Parts: sequence; structure tokens; C-alpha cells
Amino acid sequence: MPVVELSYTRLQKLIGKVTKKQISDSLPFLGLDIESEDKDLIRIEYSPNRPDYSTDFGIALGLQGLLRIKTGAIKLNIKKSNKYSISVKSDVSKIRPFVTGIIAKNGRIDDKTIKQFMTMQEDLHFGIGRKRKKSSIGIHDLDVISFPLVYRTTNRNHKFIPLNSKKELSISEILKNTDVGKNYGSILGNSPQVPLILDAKQNTISFPPIINAAVTTVTTKTKNLFVEVTGINKEDAEDMLSVVATILQSAGFTLESVQISGAKNSSPKLEQKKMSVNPSLINQILGLNLNTSKIISSLKKSRLDALTKGKNIICTIPAYRFDIFGPMDLVEEVALGYGIQNLEPTLSPSQTVGQKHPNSVNLQLISSIMTGLSYMESLNSSLTSKQILYDNTKRDSSKIISVLDSKSIEHTILRDSLLPGLIDSLAKNIHESYPQKLFEIGTIFNKTSSVTEETHLCAVSSHKDANFSEIKSILQSVIQSIFGKTCETKTTTHPTFKKGHVANIVVDGKVIGIIGEISKSIKDNFKLREPIVSFEVKLPG
Amino acid sequence: MSQVFHEIEKKIIISLKDNPKQTPEILEKSTKLLPDQIRRGIEWLKLKDLAIVNESKTSIISLGKNGIESFQKGLPERRLLNLLKDGPRNLSDLQKELGPVFGPAMGLARKNNWVEASSEQISLKNSPSELPGEKTLKQIGEKKLQQDKIDKSDLSGLLKRPDFIIEDIVKTKEISLTDSAKSIDLSDSFGAIDVEAKVPEVFVARTHPLKDTIDEIREIFVTLGFSEINGNMTQSSFWNFDALFTPQDHPARELQDTFYLDGISAKKIATPEQIRKVSESHKKNWRYHWDINEARKMVLRTHTTCVTIKYLAENKPDESRVFSLGRVFRNEKVSYKHLVEFNQIEGVVVGKDANLRNLMGIQREFYKRIGITKIKFWPTFFPYTEPSLQTMVYNERLGKWVELFGMGIFRPEVTKPLGITKPVLAWGGGIERIAMLKYGIDDVREFYNNNLGWLRSARKCQ
Repeated sequence: MPVVELSYTRLQKLIGKVTKKQISDSLPFLGLDIESEDKDLIRIEYSPNRPDYSTDFGIALGLQGLLRIKTGAIKLNIKKSNKYSISVKSDVSKIRPFVTGIIAKNGRIDDKTIKQFMTMQEDLHFGIGRKRKKSSIGIHDLDVISFPLVYRTTNRNHKFIPLNSKKELSISEILKNTDVGKNYGSILGNSPQVPLILDAKQNTISFPPIINAAVTTVTTKTKNLFVEVTGINKEDAEDMLSVVATILQSAGFTLESVQISGAKNSSPKLEQKKMSVNPSLINQILGLNLNTSKIISSLKKSRLDALTKGKNIICTIPAYRFDIFGPMDLVEEVALGYGIQNLEPTLSPSQTVGQKHPNSVNLQLISSIMTGLSYMESLNSSLTSKQILYDNTKRDSSKIISVLDSKSIEHTILRDSLLPGLIDSLAKNIHESYPQKLFEIGTIFNKTSSVTEETHLCAVSSHKDANFSEIKSILQSVIQSIFGKTCETKTTTHPTFKKGHVANIVVDGKVIGIIGEISKSIKDNFKLREPIVSFEVKLPG
Repeated sequence: MSQVFHEIEKKIIISLKDNPKQTPEILEKSTKLLPDQIRRGIEWLKLKDLAIVNESKTSIISLGKNGIESFQKGLPERRLLNLLKDGPRNLSDLQKELGPVFGPAMGLARKNNWVEASSEQISLKNSPSELPGEKTLKQIGEKKLQQDKIDKSDLSGLLKRPDFIIEDIVKTKEISLTDSAKSIDLSDSFGAIDVEAKVPEVFVARTHPLKDTIDEIREIFVTLGFSEINGNMTQSSFWNFDALFTPQDHPARELQDTFYLDGISAKKIATPEQIRKVSESHKKNWRYHWDINEARKMVLRTHTTCVTIKYLAENKPDESRVFSLGRVFRNEKVSYKHLVEFNQIEGVVVGKDANLRNLMGIQREFYKRIGITKIKFWPTFFPYTEPSLQTMVYNERLGKWVELFGMGIFRPEVTKPLGITKPVLAWGGGIERIAMLKYGIDDVREFYNNNLGWLRSARKCQ
């Protein structure tokens, strides 16, 4: 979950009359987890579906609603303007077809505001921007840009001074030598042409989705902003723009429109959408009996607008709330506005009769059989290492099942046997007193055309007098208890077991497992000394 | 009281009952035991709090070279007086007869007015029947005596004289019985064994503590009217993600969060209708190109929800309470907080009465049954439920609220394409977290270490 750092005093200024305690008490009921607090600073975890919560401006809007300081939908006031336009050339359609933008004027930007904007930008890039692939954003100092702008492609030799650089670099150099170039260059693939925003004086403004030009850098002296969003589809780009526009407006900027045209592009509308919801659905899902006015006031506390129309409630949803897909999302908005703390849990009597899965019942019984034979139950991971599963036990690794890119070297291979894990458990316990008798019941994985799963039982016994007869006696009694049958042990060979001390376990003429004494070289691999005997069988079901 | 005693102990106790304070040397004689047996017996009795050993220092007096000479021949001054018995004698004759002791003898005799000296003539004036020191000399003789048995004033003169008295400081032990030992009746200990002695350890063989917690939770679900469903740990991405409305470009589906099986794809993932409807829901709501090959990729399930949704899609029940329980996987760095593989429980309720307050009520009941009563609910976000809540439970030991189960109502975007028409309540979470609360464990890895020290000692009954 993404994290944003806030200051109580800044939040108090943004929200209005509110105490520190009111803020910290209310945050969880917006769905925001307080991760840590240090005097005035507070770190908040927010959900990826609410990018508006990536800044204190957005969180303040939410808290205002919950605390009834300001309720209802936030309306964007965008002044229509003809001064600002971007024309789009058709050559971008193959690489990054859409651009959109907005102007924000007369705001005050301090260091903390810049920091909040940067968190927002990072979050938008990572979350809904899908690491800039789907859409990405550039925020610029408006006053150094000459309109109209052009969004077109250029070749990789094109040069400009990128953000955080003092000298001109070519597109190729940026992609090869800068961190952002290395991280995001793959989005552009091998295309010889890359997207670019140029102003009327042919100055490079931005090289989306990689980097802005240095000339438009936003500082604490910047008053007016130009925001552009580029992307692979128009709706996503405009969704992203709507979040930025809402945040900038609540940060005190006045918004003006940017005209976009050419190559299937058009000016963004950032319009509110209407959605109808039936009060009976709301009451059914929440288990409440709210009248329409209570529903409407709850929705307003969630910063939406609502009114009744016939039997339904018509909701007005600002553009930045694109996380609202349908009526069920509105049910949640009602719940939040109503206050989760006000929902009293109820327990309706069960109309059903419960039962365990027959397999679970059997496995529980087998566990009790094994403990009755004085074997201690162990648990190992299904994901293990090649070292333990194959190398140390000399087992056949031709049907190895690996997972991709595991972060832990001890967990890279799916086990196809329980025995290696139990031998490893013995190795971890050499300092404990003997005899040591362990068993495990668990799933193992076989590579077929895809993957199949089986449940196995494995037992190991280790002490100075451990021998084949001992473990065969245990096996016989286990097989009798589980299957109600006798078993035979037929001579075989196996790389993990000592020659002449290993057999297949046969029930009804079918091999269901293996039994024997672990060979000395395997014990050496695990640095074990005492004799070990073992069996592993496939369980029914 | 009836205790078991060794023969040595018995003999010492009997002897001390007769003679309450004895030195080891005296005990040797009274018990006819060897010094080493006495020493061991006293140590055992001391350990059992039955004997007290008092150690003291004693001064032992014996005669030195001059003392022994005086004991044999008489004190020099007595010898002088004896020589004068028959009349006055010449000084030089006396000097010759007494030798080097004449000086001190003469000094003492004159000082005490026993003799009179005129020019060279020494004559007897007064001869006491017993001179100072003579009694002590006789008392000591050739023996060794404790100082406190000797007349101190009579000894003091001898102590000042060279080589008369040898004083040795000797440590002595005195053994006596404690009060509880005094009441021991040795006659009733015949044939008894030492019931207080240590015995070899044996260890229980038990089901694993985490399995016990899993079984307990399974039991609770069954008593709440839920039936258990099972499913594979290896699943196609379709059921793990797509069917749960997680778009194919969602960060949770990346290699760094999910375990993909290398080179393994599912052939048949779902019915053509299920595939068509799920992909349409994705295209419409998430606006991207849905790829069936992405849905075929096999993963280690990241939640048990894939088992639940598959069951619901196959059975489309109008009323149902089911749960699934089992291992799930996340590609995380292993730490005291996180495992790559852990157990999850998930329950669902399907029915026309399924609502959020009922869902919260089931949670409260569940927690009550595992002994957690301090709970509260916070809103949260899950991609496939709406509304979504999380339970916070109060951890008394840590003194803070911790997150436990997540819950919600399946989104219509999840249920509708799969033909599920009734609301579905779902909730679930990690079982290790509950087991950690139960066993007071701070490092989740402990459950998979198979540390026999812990397994042999962890409390089974709660």
C-alpha cells in the first residue's frame, strides 16, 4: 500500500476548525491507516484506488466531509480559455497517442506543497499510470512556455536540457545514462521515433513518459502551472488529469482549459457523471433501514452530491472519483458517510449445517495415528530449495518445478517429496536429545503436462539403534490403520537410501511409497550422525 | 516423613541422635565408618537439610623443647630452689650446675623473694610447694590440649618464656542434626524408593501447534454452519486474478508479488462462456487488451479466494455457507513478520439476507470463539469486494490494535460475469497471525522451524 507523509498543522489549516485528535480519530474511517506518528508528522497508508489521497489536499477534502465541515461534491471551476492549445500530430498514434492538459494559475507553492505534488505524481505514475506505461504526467512552469504547443514524435538524436541536468543530452543519451531513462525507456520499445512536446519557439517542454525539460522546472517562485498527461488511452489520461486538477484547485489555484486537437485527440471535459442507485439495494447490502434523506446526507459526507428522483437516488460523481464503477460502490460511499463505527454487528441464525471436508477429517485422524505412535508433527514449506530437495538428497531433478524470480533463495522449488524437508528438520535439531521421531502430512507437486497435487505422509526416526525393522513395524501399523490393509516391502534402490536397506511400499499390488535407511553420504550432506530410517507414502484423496 | 537413606546416612543419624554434637573424628569412632564415608554422608545430609556443620577454630597447646625439659627435670627455678634446700651455696657452683638456665631461674627467684643473695653466697629464703606454671606443665605433659581447658593465668607466665609452649590454631568441624532430622524415624523407611529423585525425560508426541490452531478454526466454522471446500494450491491466473476482477496489468500480478510456475500454463482454464464474460468485464471497466495467455499462466495461489470463486461459479448457490482453508503464497522477503507461504481461512455466505452487518456479526462471533473480544471495524480496500472492511483486534500483550481479517461483499463485476446473482459475503485472513496471538510468538518463522525444543515444551492445552 502506498504511503503519504502529512503534517497535522498543515491539515488543520486545510480542513478548518478541527483538533489533532479529531483528525487522528477520523482517518481510519476514511480507509486510511496511520502507519506512524512523530509529533506533527504522520505517515498514512492509503488504498491504491484513491490517488486523490496521495496528498494532504485530497485527504483534507475527505476529512472535511466526514467531520461535516464541508460536504457534497467538489466541483471543478475551469475557466474556458483560447490562449492555450496543443495540436497533436498523427505520428504519435503508434507510440503514445493521447495528450491532455490543464492550466493552473495564481497559486502559492512552498517546499511542503512541492513535496506533496511530487508524492502525488509518483503515486499516479505507479498506480493508475501502471509505472508510466498507461499514462504519465508532467507539471511545468507555465510562464516560460510559449503556446501553442505541438505533440509529435522526434528521432533519438533530438537534444535538449532535461530536468536535473545542466547540459544538453540527446534522447539516446537520456535513455542510456539517466535513472529515469533506464527505468522507463522500455515503454518506448525500439521505436526510432519517440514522443515530444514542443512549444511555439521550438523549445522542448517534455519527453513523455520519461522526463521534463529543465527550463520548465517548478520552484517555490513558480505561480502558474501547465500540466500535461500523455498516455495510451484517452480516458485513463483524463482520469489522471482529473486528480491533478482537483488537487491543484484545492491547493488554491484557479484552473483554465487547454484546447487539444488533432489525431483523434480532443479537449478534456473532466465532467461529473451521474449514477442512479436504489435505496433498497443500499439498505439490503448494509443491513440498515435508512430513509432517503439519511442516505443523501451520508453520500454528501463522502463528498458526492445526491438527490431523489422517483424511487431512486441520483448521484453526482466528480471526475476524479473514477474508482466508482457502479451502484455497489455507492453503497460503500453511504457506509463510509454513515460511519462504519455506527454499524452494529448482528448475527443472523445459520440456516445451514456445517461439515468438514472428508479429506480434512481423514488427515486429522492420520495425524492422531502418528502421534499415537510417538511421532512429532512437523511442518515445512512447499517451496524449498534445490539444495535441500535434490542436491543434498541426490534425488532425480528432471521434473523440477521452479517459480520465477523468488525473493528468497530458500524458496525457489516446489517440493515433489516430503522426505528432504524432514531430513533438514533433523539437521536443525542435532542439539536436541534423541530419539527424534518426526512426521509430516503435506501436499507435494508433480510435473505432468501441467501440475498435479498429491497428499503424502512421511515419517523419520533417528537414534543410535534406528533400523529398518523398527520403521517397517511402524509402517505396517500405519497402513493397517489408514487403509485397513497389509502392505509388502519389495527390494529396490533409491539414491537417498542405503543400498540393501530400501524397499518400495506395495499395497494391493501398487507401489504407494518408499521405506528404508538413509545412506551415510546423504547424512553427511546434512551433517547428521545418528542412523535415520524413514518412509513416505501417498495418501488417498 | 518417610525418606530413603543410604546406610552411611542412617549410621550417622543414629549416632548423632545419641550424641548430638560430634566432630568427624568422633563420628568415625562411633559409627565405625571410614573418614571418606563420613565425609560423603555428611555432604548428602547437608544437601537434604538434615545436618548442620559448624566449623570453629581452636587453639591447641603443647610443650616446646624447653617446656618438655622442664616437665622432665622441673622448672629451672624449682631446680635452683632444690639445690639450696641443704643450705646456702656459692654462686659460681650454682652457675656450673644449672648451666644457661641459671640466669632466668635466679632472676625469678630473687624477684619473688624465694632466695637471698649476699656477696657470693645464695641462700634459700622461702620455698613454695607449687611454683607458677608447675600445675600447667604437669597438666599438659606430653599431650596436646585445647587452650580453653587450661588455667589461663597459670599458662600466661609460660607463654612468655622461649620455647616452652607451642600454640597451634586448628579448624574443627562439629556435626549436629537439624530439627527435621531429629524427628526422622528410620524404622519405617525399609524397602522405600527415593520418590523425590530425578528421572529420565520423555517428550510428548503431538500435533503441530499451528495445525491445532487450524483445526480449532475449522471446528469453529463448522459449528457456525459452514461446510469446508478444498482446492489446489497451483491455480491458473484466471481463477486467482481475472475472475476476481484484478486487471492483467495490476501491480499485484507482477512477478515481484506473485509466484509464477516456470514454463507451466493451464490448458483448460474455464468454460468458454466464463472466459468470454470475465474478459468482457475487464475490457469494459479497465479499458485494456485482455490476453487469454496471461490468464493461462499457472501461479501459486495468492489467496484461497480462487477456490471460493470457482466453487461459486460452478454451483451458483442461492443459499450457501462455505469456507476454504489452506496454504497461500506471496513473493516476499522472509522476515519475522512475513513468510512466502502461510495459511489462510476464507469463508463466504451467499443468500438474500447476506448483508454487511451480518458479516460483521459473524466476525464478532468468530473472534469471540477464539478468545478475542476487543474488536473494531475499519473501512479498507480490496480489488474484488465492495464495501470492504478490516477487523482490528486489540493485542493485550503488545498493547496495540492489530489488523486481522479482511472482509467485504463480492463486487458485481466479479459475481455477474460468473452467473452468481445473490450477494456474496466473504472474509478471510492469515491463520499464523491468530496462532501467534495464541502462543505469544513474535516471529512467524517459528511455526516452520520444527524446533524440537519448542515443540516438546509448547503448551498443548489452553
